[in-house]
Amino acid sequence: MSENINYKTAFEELQVIVSEIEQGEISVDELSAKVKRATELIKICKDKLTTTEEDVNNILKQLEG
Amino acid sequence: MKAEMNKLNYYKQSGHCYPELVEKQDGVIVAQVKSNLWKDDYTHINNEFLRVLKEPLKDGIKILFMANISFHPMHGLSLRIIDIDPGYTLGDLEKEKQATIQKLQEEGIFNKNRSLPFPLLPQRIAVISVETSKGYIDFLKVIDNNEWNYTFFHLLFPSLLQGENAIGGIIRQLERIKTVLEHFDVVAIIRGGGADIGLSSYNNYTLARAIALFPIPVITGIGHATNETVSEMVSFENAITPTKLGEFLMQKFHNFSVPVRQAQEKIIDKSRRLISEEGTRFQGTVRMFRSATEHILIKNKSMLRALSQSLIQQSQFRFRNERQYFIFIRDGMKRNALNLWNNSSGMLSNFERNIRNMDPKNVLKRGYSITLLNGKAVRIFDEVKEGDQLETSLFKGSILSIAMAANKSSDHE
Repeated sequence: MSENINYKTAFEELQVIVSEIEQGEISVDELSAKVKRATELIKICKDKLTTTEEDVNNILKQLEG
Repeated sequence: MKAEMNKLNYYKQSGHCYPELVEKQDGVIVAQVKSNLWKDDYTHINNEFLRVLKEPLKDGIKILFMANISFHPMHGLSLRIIDIDPGYTLGDLEKEKQATIQKLQEEGIFNKNRSLPFPLLPQRIAVISVETSKGYIDFLKVIDNNEWNYTFFHLLFPSLLQGENAIGGIIRQLERIKTVLEHFDVVAIIRGGGADIGLSSYNNYTLARAIALFPIPVITGIGHATNETVSEMVSFENAITPTKLGEFLMQKFHNFSVPVRQAQEKIIDKSRRLISEEGTRFQGTVRMFRSATEHILIKNKSMLRALSQSLIQQSQFRFRNERQYFIFIRDGMKRNALNLWNNSSGMLSNFERNIRNMDPKNVLKRGYSITLLNGKAVRIFDEVKEGDQLETSLFKGSILSIAMAANKSSDHE
């Protein structure tokens, strides 16, 4: 992932875009950019569900130290 | 007799126990006696305990018992325990449980763990369990092999989970987890698969307090059918079984994943609608523009035609008018010219007549004559001197004469 963004933040930003679109605050000019951003955010959220970056060895080392 | 069984002193090989019975006042032992619990009695009593208390006979419980006093020459005086009333101990354990609850409530920490914010995605789990425990295996089965590909990270912090040793074991692992806290979202205490025994340690004040005060949510899947223990009560979430606990975590993932999917669907749907609405609006505008321009064209074309027709008519009319006016002028001119000519010719004949009347010939005809001197008419007497040769012109012919005298005649003055 290119962007290191917290999933909570990603999710909140996503909700903002959804409500903007829902309330018709987005013009056709902006639509493409917003949808692109939403796609990125959705990917970030979905990736968060299916990946984790924790490393067992790292934690064990920390526990021993 | 009532006493506190400080130590059970169970010997596996013989199956006999040598309980150490004490009486305490404010935690200090004030009386003490040795006792025997023979294998058959132990088996019977232990089974009763397991049936009634869900706890085996163990160290540190209060008992109401029946005993024979025996004396042995070598071992001295001792009590031989024949029976123990599980109901009494049950009441005592229940009292301990209530005491723990009350103490935690008085300290205001009973709901501490439960009121922590729960992570949006409880993804990283510190598991306190036993590797071989069926409950642990069940739990992993749920979270590791889910059909939605949700990924959890979990690390086992092994501890005994029942009996007296569970208290220290779990507390120790909680302390270890605290040192690597930033790597975890939740702590899961998982037991299960065994019988519902040895769970009274979960009512222990120190353990329950450690859980209540733990800085991240502690969730439990102890797996039993008996009353909820204090440790479970103070935990953020208590599932009946490890499987249910796994499902609880899955649900949290669903709770996150479903709105994301809904957001995705909404965005797709709304974007399509927005584009299609814009398209319709655009087409509408095009149609309106076309019809408006057509209308204008038609209007202008008919206006143009009307103008050109009127131009032709007007110019024809104008031409006709001008021609008539021209004819009128031409005729007038002709007439006037003729009149003028007629008048003029009349005037001319008068002139002619007058002029003819004035012609010298006509005058001469009437008897007048002209005296010429050297070809010039003489009008005044002093132009002529005596002896000048004069020529007198008559109507017919002339007379040559010589002047005798030239006098001023008085009657002509």
